[in-house]
Amino acid sequence: MFKKLQNILRIIGMSFEIEMRQNLTDGFVLFGIVIQPLIVAFMALWMLKDKGPDYAIYVVVGSAMTGLWTTLLFNGGNSITGERWTGTLESLVGSPSSLRVVVFGKVLANVTQSLLSMIGCYILISLVMGYPLSLSNPLLFTASVVFTVFAFVCFGVIIASLFILIPDFQRLQNTLEFPVYILCGFLFPIALLPGWTTPLSYILSPYWAARALHGAAQGTLDTNQILISMGLLVLFSVMYLSVSGILYRIVLRKARVDGTLNTTG
Amino acid sequence: MNAIEVKDLKRQFKTTIGIIKRKTKTIVAVDGISFDIQNGELFGLLGPNGAGKTTTIKMLTTLLIPTSGSARIMNFDVVRDADKIRPKIGFIFGGERGLYWRLSGFDNLRYFASLYYVDSESAKKKIPELIELVGLQGREKEKVEGYSRGMRQRLHIARALLHDPEILFLDEPTMGLDPVGARNLRMTIRNLQSAKKTILLTTHYMFEADALCERIAVINKGKIVALDTPDKLKRAVQDLSIVEIEVFGIPPEYIEKIRAMKFVDNVAVESRDQRQVLLVQTSKGPSAISELVEALNGLRLGKIVTREPTLEDAYVRLVGGA
Repeated sequence: MFKKLQNILRIIGMSFEIEMRQNLTDGFVLFGIVIQPLIVAFMALWMLKDKGPDYAIYVVVGSAMTGLWTTLLFNGGNSITGERWTGTLESLVGSPSSLRVVVFGKVLANVTQSLLSMIGCYILISLVMGYPLSLSNPLLFTASVVFTVFAFVCFGVIIASLFILIPDFQRLQNTLEFPVYILCGFLFPIALLPGWTTPLSYILSPYWAARALHGAAQGTLDTNQILISMGLLVLFSVMYLSVSGILYRIVLRKARVDGTLNTTG
Repeated sequence: MNAIEVKDLKRQFKTTIGIIKRKTKTIVAVDGISFDIQNGELFGLLGPNGAGKTTTIKMLTTLLIPTSGSARIMNFDVVRDADKIRPKIGFIFGGERGLYWRLSGFDNLRYFASLYYVDSESAKKKIPELIELVGLQGREKEKVEGYSRGMRQRLHIARALLHDPEILFLDEPTMGLDPVGARNLRMTIRNLQSAKKTILLTTHYMFEADALCERIAVINKGKIVALDTPDKLKRAVQDLSIVEIEVFGIPPEYIEKIRAMKFVDNVAVESRDQRQVLLVQTSKGPSAISELVEALNGLRLGKIVTREPTLEDAYVRLVGGA
């Protein structure tokens, strides 16, 4: 059991390292990680310079989450497509390691990279503009960030399976981007949406992440409410991970039947 | 116990034709093949492009599910027991794909070592050994994108050997290697055979199959058309002689004319620089030369020789010429 856990952690660690190193040598990805967040952070804070700090932190947290989701959807998804095109998807599937664990490490790398970059950019730009951002509950906010990373990674593992199942899933990537922004309440409260969408929001772990982060940043939720959001965030993430086990078995079997693990068949 | 048992294995692919009126077409890549490979045997799978060699290997390495039939690796079923098979096998597919080009060769091996559960201490020892074995020492810290085709192929081989697998699937492993590299690799394969590894090798090079394989299956259009030792396969064409005629530019109609001659069993054409060599299999021996020369009247001819058949000639006869 201990040996198995050790192997899983090692594979996550190596996949994380390999994905990080690959991203750092890809100009397109580097632009998305370093330059784009700088521009977004500058524009967001410039527009908010006359507003109160409470409102500013709401937009900063919200826009950072949208950036995180976009990175997850595009870099995470494209990395699976890339593996297929370079022929390494077969090597990964043909190895004794679980592809789900490998994908977990890859998505973790993308989310971490994006998060660190955005935190760095917002701090840098706010300092340059002399517009410090304040957090209502820094401790709970930090804890929420950690759980948010976990939630996004678990969600990303599910999303990545679609890229394995459908070789040209890239075509549908854009259609997934905005619904998640909206349903998860990254930039405005879900109370503004029609009532029938609320259950959909509740089953998406990023919604609970957004709720915990916004609540801890602005102080609009009390400690208990933030802890409940974090609990639900973890609960849904663990559920995603459990479902992903079955999902990957189905998806990989289908890919082996259809011969879609490689672009050359 | 056999290392590999294949019974009536079949694999079809579906493809669509047309844009508005789309029709589904079924392509049979492997059509009911059966063979067994014993423990420690070096078995060759020969066939022209598109014959079904790679599809067969992909089914045996658990990357494709057969349409029907069965295949067992060390008594494990390739569909149901894929998880048990994967730690015991190593595979390489010909070509340059399947590696992380933006990483160094060393990092590629580190990553695959972890995927194959090679513990860190063993990996630290094993990776430099394999780098030396495949002759990449001194270049291992460079990115793979800067490697030559042969170097990438050698890196593939090192990757396949990382976890010391009991069975190796080598799909055209010497493709793209220079003659010295190919010879070194053949020596490596021989050493692996001496170490009692079971090897399934596909290659286009007949001399390679002849020199390495204990038994060979010739596959054509998804079916096995012959399965025997190289010597016995050669014996199947011993009634024939091979007349080699150098020609400087031969139109297709001349080839068809020769193919239609009663005493000609098969014809193949090999290109060598500016000339072609017509390989005519005939039971008539040297006495066929005069009639062949007459049929080629009007063309510029070079050297003409008659020789004994080789494994390549047996292969040409089995798969039906060029």
